[in-house]
Amino acid sequence: MNTSLTHIIKEWVPEKSKVIDFGCGDGSLLKDLIDQKNIRGYGVEIDHNKIQECIDKGISVVEKDIDEGIQDFETCNFDVAIMASSIQCLKEPHLALRKMLNLSKQCIVTLPNLGFWKCRLDLVQGRMPVTPNLPSSWYETKNLHLCTIKDFETLCVEEGFVINERLFLNDKGVKSFAASTFPNTFASEGVYLLAKK
Amino acid sequence: MKTKTELIKFNQGLDLESGERLDTFDLIVETYGQLNTDKDNGILICHAFSGNHHAAGKTADGGVLGWWDEIIGPGKAIDTDKFFVVCSNNLGGCSGSSGPLSTNPETGESYGKDFPSVSVTDWVNSQKLLTDHLGIAKWHMVVGGSLGGMQALQWSISYPNKVKKVGIFATATKSSTQNIAMNEVGREAIRKDKNFMGGDYLKHSIKPKNGLKAARMLGHITYSSEEIMDQKFGRKFQDIKSKIEGTVDYEVENYLQYKGEKFSDTFDANSYILMTKAMDGYDASYSSNGSLESVMKKIQAKLLVVGFDSDWLYPPKRSKEIQLAAMNVDIECSCVILKGDQGHDSFLFASERFVNIIKGFLNSK
Repeated sequence: MNTSLTHIIKEWVPEKSKVIDFGCGDGSLLKDLIDQKNIRGYGVEIDHNKIQECIDKGISVVEKDIDEGIQDFETCNFDVAIMASSIQCLKEPHLALRKMLNLSKQCIVTLPNLGFWKCRLDLVQGRMPVTPNLPSSWYETKNLHLCTIKDFETLCVEEGFVINERLFLNDKGVKSFAASTFPNTFASEGVYLLAKK
Repeated sequence: MKTKTELIKFNQGLDLESGERLDTFDLIVETYGQLNTDKDNGILICHAFSGNHHAAGKTADGGVLGWWDEIIGPGKAIDTDKFFVVCSNNLGGCSGSSGPLSTNPETGESYGKDFPSVSVTDWVNSQKLLTDHLGIAKWHMVVGGSLGGMQALQWSISYPNKVKKVGIFATATKSSTQNIAMNEVGREAIRKDKNFMGGDYLKHSIKPKNGLKAARMLGHITYSSEEIMDQKFGRKFQDIKSKIEGTVDYEVENYLQYKGEKFSDTFDANSYILMTKAMDGYDASYSSNGSLESVMKKIQAKLLVVGFDSDWLYPPKRSKEIQLAAMNVDIECSCVILKGDQGHDSFLFASERFVNIIKGFLNSK
């Protein structure tokens, strides 16, 4: 995860909150949040090597496929649920978001924007987009449900999710005037803080 | 590896959950490695139902390897070059700690069936006295599988500030109805053996071997799984030369006959009944009217819960229950479900992931 993204997520997570990170990877983000914001953090991960890295770091991690298991934690009353760069890999992203907001007051979601101009250019030239945050070729990508910033925000309206915060990054992973002003074209990544109505 | 065996006498007595009291009791203890000067490198191993204090290394006499020798030793998952590892035979056992085979000081004869019923919590309380005896203020880890996993969990509940980390493997917070049912079949086989004599067989210098054997044969089926038995034995016929019993047709029958026979030579029937009753009776949430969460709130230790996919005695969902309860009450807890090709017994073997996970957990902050 790039440093800007990590920085934004850290800003949005309240001190001492209870956090669950779906697709927590090697547990670095949770480790930072525990060290710097004194949170109680749990990770959910399916990759064996990454689970091992979490355990080595002393991070609480649960081995689970997010596609099947989000609702398992709905009794746990989280303050923040994080899903960084994996929502588009799930079988049913809209249901996943609903479930995340059932178990947590707020949820932080980051997603690659298929409307980013370089993606559009690739498509105009007749190719599937390959960009820094969509690095895989069509035949090996894990992304099942790519969308644009516009698509995502439409879904939020339809589902009744409140967007408390939104930030946009360009393909260098930093905030820029263009990305903030015309995100659907110039943002490579969208970062959202969502809540239920 | 150097192993040290010691019989420790406790004269301060122990009040048991049943309301009975043992005025004195012994625990037989095996240790490996060295306790450091800060006394903070101690790891307490809790054995499973039919296990004992001999967890690792070889016995002086027969050279029998400990039941968790794959996991405990120099450079192994529980590294005896780093940690001081302690394993005691549970009260009520038959390997040297006070139990049905010990002499009842009141009668001068063996306790036999009159040894008081003991519980998982009693075992933890007896081990707390052992902890004090060893001068250990806080265990670096208490760990166990199966019934030993229940005991490790109970340690973190009974003595929250005495344990830093807890490893809970292939177990549950309570025995299921099916677990109790299986145990009852085993006990019934023992009770109906004509040599059992209502539990007084010691007085007649006999043993209900047939009952014990049948009970163990059933036990071994539950420790394995349908798939594993298929892979290991299939429908292969036992070759005539190595048949244990004339009635044996298939390899699987011969295997169970062999395991049952071996067990009935060494295990005590009253211990069997007592230990399985302790297992059936365990319910971590009992003291709080069934609310696991309110009991687990007390835990200060970090938990590692490991289940095995082929375990049908304590299936993965039971491990997940522990993890979920921990998460509900903000306890630090990791939970992994490993591919185990040995059913319930998978926790006894040093599969690569299992070893790495134990190591990572032990060495992390």
